[in-house]
Amino acid sequence: MNVAIQILSSGLTLGAIYALSTIGLSLVYGSLNMLNMAHGALLALGGYVCFYVMGVLGLPGLLGVPAAMLVCGLAGFVVYQLAARPMLASGGFETRIFIATIGIGAILGNVIQRSFGPQPVAQPLALHGALVLGEVYVPYQNLLILFVSVAMMAVVALLLGRTRVGRAIRATAQNRDAAQLMGIRIGRVYAQVLALSGALAALSGILISSLSGLLPNMGGDPMLKAFVICIVAGLGNVFGAVVAAFLLGLLEALIQYLLGVQYSFAILLLIVIAVLIWRPAGLFGRRQVVRL
Amino acid sequence: MSAGRRDLLVCLLLAGAMALLPQLVGTRYVVTQSTLFFIWAVVVSQWNLVFGVAGIFSLAQMALFAVGAYATAMLGYYFAVPMVVAMPLAALVSVAVSLVVGLACLRLRGPYVALLTLAIAQVLYLVVVNDTDCFTNPPSGCMPFFGGVRGFSRFGDLGFRALLGSKWYVAHYYVGLGLLTLAMLFSIAIVRGPLGLAFQALRDNPGYARSRGVGQFKYQLWVFGLSAFFTGLAGAFYGVQFGVVGPIVFSLATLLFLLSMMVVGGLGTVWGPLLGAALLMLADEGMREVGDWRDIGLGVILVLFVVLLPRGLAGLRLRGVSKAKQS
Repeated sequence: MNVAIQILSSGLTLGAIYALSTIGLSLVYGSLNMLNMAHGALLALGGYVCFYVMGVLGLPGLLGVPAAMLVCGLAGFVVYQLAARPMLASGGFETRIFIATIGIGAILGNVIQRSFGPQPVAQPLALHGALVLGEVYVPYQNLLILFVSVAMMAVVALLLGRTRVGRAIRATAQNRDAAQLMGIRIGRVYAQVLALSGALAALSGILISSLSGLLPNMGGDPMLKAFVICIVAGLGNVFGAVVAAFLLGLLEALIQYLLGVQYSFAILLLIVIAVLIWRPAGLFGRRQVVRL
Repeated sequence: MSAGRRDLLVCLLLAGAMALLPQLVGTRYVVTQSTLFFIWAVVVSQWNLVFGVAGIFSLAQMALFAVGAYATAMLGYYFAVPMVVAMPLAALVSVAVSLVVGLACLRLRGPYVALLTLAIAQVLYLVVVNDTDCFTNPPSGCMPFFGGVRGFSRFGDLGFRALLGSKWYVAHYYVGLGLLTLAMLFSIAIVRGPLGLAFQALRDNPGYARSRGVGQFKYQLWVFGLSAFFTGLAGAFYGVQFGVVGPIVFSLATLLFLLSMMVVGGLGTVWGPLLGAALLMLADEGMREVGDWRDIGLGVILVLFVVLLPRGLAGLRLRGVSKAKQS
């Protein structure tokens, strides 16, 4: 029984962390057909800004989180201005923006490393204490991560489904040209989505770094896993991505318990490849009808 | 003169000119850096076949390079296979791995392929780094099966160190040059031949290509298999050149460096990637002075090119040609 609670607890924590990194990515792909390879660097940037505000300036956490979200939102906007906007009109957008964001991610990661140094530091914003279930300790921080990831998903779902902005985003996602003809300012939608995903990345980065510690390249691993999750769920499906994140988190915790930590990601990936061969558009992805 | 013949001529002329370099500039640094350039140029020329010519956005090329390097090192380290035999064998191992990657990506499109191949590369890296159980216990310390974080060293070389003494690096220069010449001839033959046509057809209009009987299954496996051979061989030669094979060959920075070469030079063209490789090696050399800013500089170059000049430097000339044809 205790083992089951332990696996469930660590699986849900892993799943929540994955979900946190996945939501922003999935949002951007779903509405802009753009894979943001700079997302990992944005996660790190968010974590470091919060660290700077709280640890170096000594301000309370209630200021650190919004500051991080603001800076990363601005960074997302800069990505739009510098890379996405000049490319929107011309062909090959998907491939080119992918390459461009790899470059931006590398620049950002190196800037962070130069500013804060390569050695790991602890994230000052963390809850202490734990909930005791049977003989298992579940830290409050893990519960907070779980709660925030679900809340974030709900906010994004509400935003996309219930607001005018969300409708514009969805229209752009369905058909960019038609949306533009209906009077939607495509550029503004892109800027909004990228800024929003940047702000979400900041929040995710703070929470992830509260468990793993801050490193300039801390975003790389969560981002790669987030991509794997996006693929499994079907790129661009925010709700599916969160479900897949929790499924894969639980699965990984189970594999770690049964076979050991070192092979968990490799086995996870084999499962993913099998899923992709079975359903190329992902578990929750709608099959796309391609007109030739 | 047909395009194929012109490329052939250019290739042989360039190879001839490069063959003179060690005679003219004797500095060891220049010669070894040129050898490194040959290695990277081989990789980008083959990567270009997959990414540029066939339009499959695979990021597995550096992993295949690493497979070639590791296979060579392991053959030499565990079985004492002479390097001359181990290198082609390692290249064949790369081909086998590449075929598996190609199979896994067969039904995916565009960015899905990029992500899956990146994830595969990451898994290979993790398998190498996370494996800490000792496979053998040489005097130098515990040695995991895949070499662990430390990697392999002292697995043999091509024999030039014994033959030529301190001048061995000149021999390696010529091996690298020969490798690049062969790889370029190989990629010219493919791009200008029927296989290249099929790849380009599948890239430009998959539906039409398939309806004319150009099967995606067959040709995707062809391009993955063919492009892996020289990539693996380049990896093998990299191992022999430096005498060390470690997990650093998987690093994202190298991947970024080579990707930038292709983007700067011009994807899908015969000579673009080679030009990009030369330019970026020079740029990297120039930025050596400023140390840590190199990676940032490389990132800036990559972003600038992909945003402002997506078809690379070779695209400039193509644009000129098509304008001339229109008028």
